[in-house]
Amino acid sequence: MILGKGEQDGGVPHGRLLVAYAEAVIHGDAAAIGRSAQSIREHLSDAALVDSAAVVATFNAIDRVADACGIPLEDEKADLTADLRADLGINDFPSQVGVA
Amino acid sequence: MTAIIHADAAVPVRADLSAVHQRALDRLALPGTWLDGSQRLAIAAETRNSGRCSLCRRRKAALSPYAIDGRHDSLGGLSEPMVDVIHRVATDPGRLSRDWYQSVLDGGFGEGNYVETVGVVVTVVALDTFRLGLGLPPLALPSAEPGEPSRYRPAAAYVQGCWVPTQSKDQVSEEDAYIYHNRFGANIQQAMSLVPAEVDGFFDMVETQYLTGAEMRDFDNEFRAINHVQIELLAARVSAINQCVY
Repeated sequence: MILGKGEQDGGVPHGRLLVAYAEAVIHGDAAAIGRSAQSIREHLSDAALVDSAAVVATFNAIDRVADACGIPLEDEKADLTADLRADLGINDFPSQVGVA
Repeated sequence: MTAIIHADAAVPVRADLSAVHQRALDRLALPGTWLDGSQRLAIAAETRNSGRCSLCRRRKAALSPYAIDGRHDSLGGLSEPMVDVIHRVATDPGRLSRDWYQSVLDGGFGEGNYVETVGVVVTVVALDTFRLGLGLPPLALPSAEPGEPSRYRPAAAYVQGCWVPTQSKDQVSEEDAYIYHNRFGANIQQAMSLVPAEVDGFFDMVETQYLTGAEMRDFDNEFRAINHVQIELLAARVSAINQCVY
């Protein structure tokens, strides 16, 4: 689900809906935002929509802080996530090319 | 001062979110550390304009953004190197490179200027993305407040792992310690510490939009209308789309 695959919730309540919302916002698809936002309001709550928008906004911005400042992953996080990153293909992201 | 922020939303927006967004909007207009209010607002406007840039579209579609030359479609008023920083950070952050950053510095861009520019860009991205998520247009930018930038450079900041100089929680001076108050001092919080005001302003927003560090680690309680797992799923999907490893 994190990489945009899978049609189920992935064990997360309303996971598929939330992923669809995040994708719509990041891709700037106004129609899709409208549909997924309405679904969040219907299946979760108005407050859930606001908090979802806030989280998406946070990470759309904070990703840019990380990439623009060239921050490394902390050693302990790198160790903890080594297998996960390999499985998800995160190590193939452009920013990681050439990084040991 | 604008009217009550987000009053045009179809859903109630919690008061602390509206308050932090108002603070962030107001801060864009104030003189900063290396940039005055007019410059900061020009960067904010150019951040919004970057989505209309044909050069950025061509670069985004290319195998390598560095293989495409050209001039940005800019609003005017900012130097081309500044516009390039703004547009690249705004439109294709996942493919920024150390070599590119070094070329920015080699071209005469100051490190503090760069970090503050990043701070302004990401503030606008956060505000505008939130509004977009609620189906709303971006907030109008305020008018610039008078005053000169402070030109404060922390003596403790140096290049240590990041591209930009930083000062960690252990290294920070008493004067700058406020940026790590109730914060763990993770690399992401250190990232803009060359310009302490940007750290404090940006994480003021982060902690209200997302969670504080303590809340993030408190799995016994929920603090939002979506739970920890739902929050992290949203965060992970956004970061995967942006191809951000951190």
